[in-house]
Amino acid sequence: MPKSGRKTRRPTPAAGVLGAWLLIAPAAAAGQADTTAGFERGQELYEAHCALCHQESGQGDPPTFPALNGNDRLEDSARIVRNIYRGAGTMPPFPDLEVEDIAALVQYVRGAWENDFPEVAAEEVAAALDGLDETGGRVSVWDGVFTQAQADRGQTAYTGACGICHGRRLNGAPDDPDMRSTPPLARAGFLREWDGRSLATLYEYMRATMPEDNPGSLTDPEYVDVIAYMLSVGGMPTGPDALPPDPPRLSRIAIEQRP
Amino acid sequence: MAGKRDKKPNDTGFEDRKRVSRRDFVKKGAVAGLGGAALLEPSARAQAAPQGSGDVAWDYEVDVVIAGGGCAGLTAAIRARDLGATVLVVDQNFDVGGRMLHSGSFVSLGGGDPVQRRDMSGESDREGFITVDPVEDREELDDSVDLLFTDLTDWSVLDRKAQGPYRYNERELVRAWAENCPATRQFLTDNYVRFARVNGTHGGGGLSRARGARCFLMLGDRTDMKAGTITAEDAGVADPERTSAFAPVQMTNMSRFVAPGAVGNGVALARPLEFSAREKGVEFMLHRSFEELVREQPFSGRILGIRARYSPRFHPETGELMRSYWQNGNVEERRETVNIRARKAVILASGGHAGNPQVRSMFYPAMREPAFPTSGLALQGRQSQDASALIAGLRVGANLAGMQQNLSYSTTFHISTRLGTRDAYTTMMPGHPTFGFRGSAGVNVGNAGFEEFIAVNQVGQRFFNEVRLPLRPGLNAYPGDGGAPGQGLEHKPLDWRNCRKEWVQEMYGHDHGLDAALAMNEGSEPPDYYSGPLWAIFDQEAVERTGWELRYPYVADNGYFFQADTIEELADKIAADHEFQRVPLKYLAETVATWNGYVDAGADPEFEREVDAPMNHIAAPPFYALSIMVIWHDSYGGLRVNGRQQVVDMQGEVIPGLYAGGEAVGGFNKHGLGKGHVHGYIAGTRAAEEPSA
Repeated sequence: MPKSGRKTRRPTPAAGVLGAWLLIAPAAAAGQADTTAGFERGQELYEAHCALCHQESGQGDPPTFPALNGNDRLEDSARIVRNIYRGAGTMPPFPDLEVEDIAALVQYVRGAWENDFPEVAAEEVAAALDGLDETGGRVSVWDGVFTQAQADRGQTAYTGACGICHGRRLNGAPDDPDMRSTPPLARAGFLREWDGRSLATLYEYMRATMPEDNPGSLTDPEYVDVIAYMLSVGGMPTGPDALPPDPPRLSRIAIEQRP
Repeated sequence: MAGKRDKKPNDTGFEDRKRVSRRDFVKKGAVAGLGGAALLEPSARAQAAPQGSGDVAWDYEVDVVIAGGGCAGLTAAIRARDLGATVLVVDQNFDVGGRMLHSGSFVSLGGGDPVQRRDMSGESDREGFITVDPVEDREELDDSVDLLFTDLTDWSVLDRKAQGPYRYNERELVRAWAENCPATRQFLTDNYVRFARVNGTHGGGGLSRARGARCFLMLGDRTDMKAGTITAEDAGVADPERTSAFAPVQMTNMSRFVAPGAVGNGVALARPLEFSAREKGVEFMLHRSFEELVREQPFSGRILGIRARYSPRFHPETGELMRSYWQNGNVEERRETVNIRARKAVILASGGHAGNPQVRSMFYPAMREPAFPTSGLALQGRQSQDASALIAGLRVGANLAGMQQNLSYSTTFHISTRLGTRDAYTTMMPGHPTFGFRGSAGVNVGNAGFEEFIAVNQVGQRFFNEVRLPLRPGLNAYPGDGGAPGQGLEHKPLDWRNCRKEWVQEMYGHDHGLDAALAMNEGSEPPDYYSGPLWAIFDQEAVERTGWELRYPYVADNGYFFQADTIEELADKIAADHEFQRVPLKYLAETVATWNGYVDAGADPEFEREVDAPMNHIAAPPFYALSIMVIWHDSYGGLRVNGRQQVVDMQGEVIPGLYAGGEAVGGFNKHGLGKGHVHGYIAGTRAAEEPSA
């Protein structure tokens, strides 16, 4: 059973939440229009990419997912930029984000909740990004990113480790009716939740949280094999190469609706 | 059972109870049990005498008579037999195992039981089948009887309905249960039951430690309970759409908790126990429904025995009397009623009242609706969970306990996510002889599947936010980490802050979709105002989005699945061919048109479907309807018993010679098998110790 507060549903930017924030954050509310716009953009990006693990509240789920609210490490803005772009530990890389996006995110996490770090100029973000490797182009899950053999291996791993909760049809319906429904792992329901994220986020989220009673108990190759199986059940095509258990490379594969 | 409906049940093989009037006087006594020793002593049958009489003509005589061969009854039978008693189990079904056979086999015990200790040590099982490491941390397994008792009587812990189920538990009952958990785990293990790694705790089993383990068998080239192996065919895993007579529910992969090649569910619990019982000489009288207790005087004296009625189940296709999987130890008896004398004791283990709409209405009048069954309709038949123990107990003066506890546990009554079958709680595929009673396996769409359709009532109107309709309120939880096994141990039992209103506001999670589903509507007529059936309505595009396979064996032409080219035709078909549809779905077309307008507008003003949940047109033919079932699964509340499982009367006195356990008893809000097995273990022990009358 998922812990209360851990949401896998994509958060929806709600006007009420924004409005409430503006009321309780006089420092930002008093800023100039573009500052506010950057903060709002940052919140939107945060909710799409970060809140899955760090939570909308910024409280995270320590020790797996660190809290950002009240986190002194946010003092080092270059570190935030590097972590977002390249990933760090459990955190997946987000190489697709533009400089402005990363700047907005940095601004958001440093000013949201009870945080009150000074603003960071976009130039500083650009400078921090300088010298970080470009790791290649971007593809989608519909571009043949796994092999049939890998999906077959993944089915075996899935049946043993995941199927008891997520169901033999990967639709979140366990066979044992005493068990609660879980999120779907394939097809339209899965895509709706994960659209816009990368396979690196999925991979790291799975490694950090699944199986729920024993996270990390599969091998790294097994986790990507399970992803391959999920994609194959969802009708995504196979290709010549298997998915690698490598977050930087997985971060270049976007989860998207069927083109 | 079908209430006001005047249509005949459609031709899907559902049993007609009237068939039980068939009388077949077979002059036959006991059949020898294994080893050739006839334990029963058949005696000449005289005319039936009223209950409460001291001179009943007894047809059979045995030390211990047990009503019901499920988790409580079968455990009690083996235990009493181990202690030297002769034992007869009477069960209304054609096969042994009760609901244990279709369960998930999640047996939550604890108190430092042998599998907790095994997993703490990191060792494998006795036979060395388990090769995976323990799933739970040592700290989660470090349990004691005192901690278990405290957990199950913690007045402060609330569930997500803001109810405190543990506070109403009978202390004496729970203390005895906790003290007998370790011995019961050992007992089950000694009777061919194999437990996988401990993994969490089953509902009502306390939150401080991990106490639950599922049962397994290993896939092999023969089915052998002694060796712990089962063939893929018998396990129902050789073909994804077929199961076997051995396993009504296909067994599931248990490799994560055991080793590659392990499969498990209730089959791996019920069949080994049944095998052991038959091997030890327990005898079974199947197709026989327990009806009445015989007491010396109506409200005083010893319980002398039971009266039981022939309740044959016939194969849905061949019409032949169904046979149990194993037959050694079966007593063939087809007389209409027989009186069975118990020299030592009677044990009532015949289940709860979830299958008796009239008794259910004591708790929730809307659940008198006969359209909504209990779980296991096909496997167990319509006389399962018929409140027989409660009714018979009341007739001899028994008290009741825990009658409000039905309202707590989240599977008691809920909306199933398996659509398109009446037997919506239980999984079943063709290959088991009772599959024909349901006709279809159903389509389990999960909670997420409810985003894909609109749900309508018997007049074709929406009644709730579909996305929230199937959500069940969560189980007991402490503040903070929740205290759930595997998620840390930081909580303080018996503390007022566990139920402070701020925590309740944070964790409360009850949307009441079920209450809306049972509500009166324009088709509800006096005196019962039945809500009528519920329907999921969708179109071909939904099928393409979801991959639902609308074909046999998932759906069938059995009145629980319909397909049509227009919404009007769909409504007509449902009204004509569903056994509990009492009125036309006169608003269905209008409801669909309104919904499509909401989809265009991007908002659902009537029921405020979640802003990020999809809203899809219902416009692409063919159109479909799948039944949505409210299921009353297990029941709480029943006979009051003491810590020896002796039934207690309304003066607080023990009724001599009468024991009860499992769902037949009340005062213990614990879900499932862990309760029943221990009750059976205690009752079997005490019953065997009774002097022979």
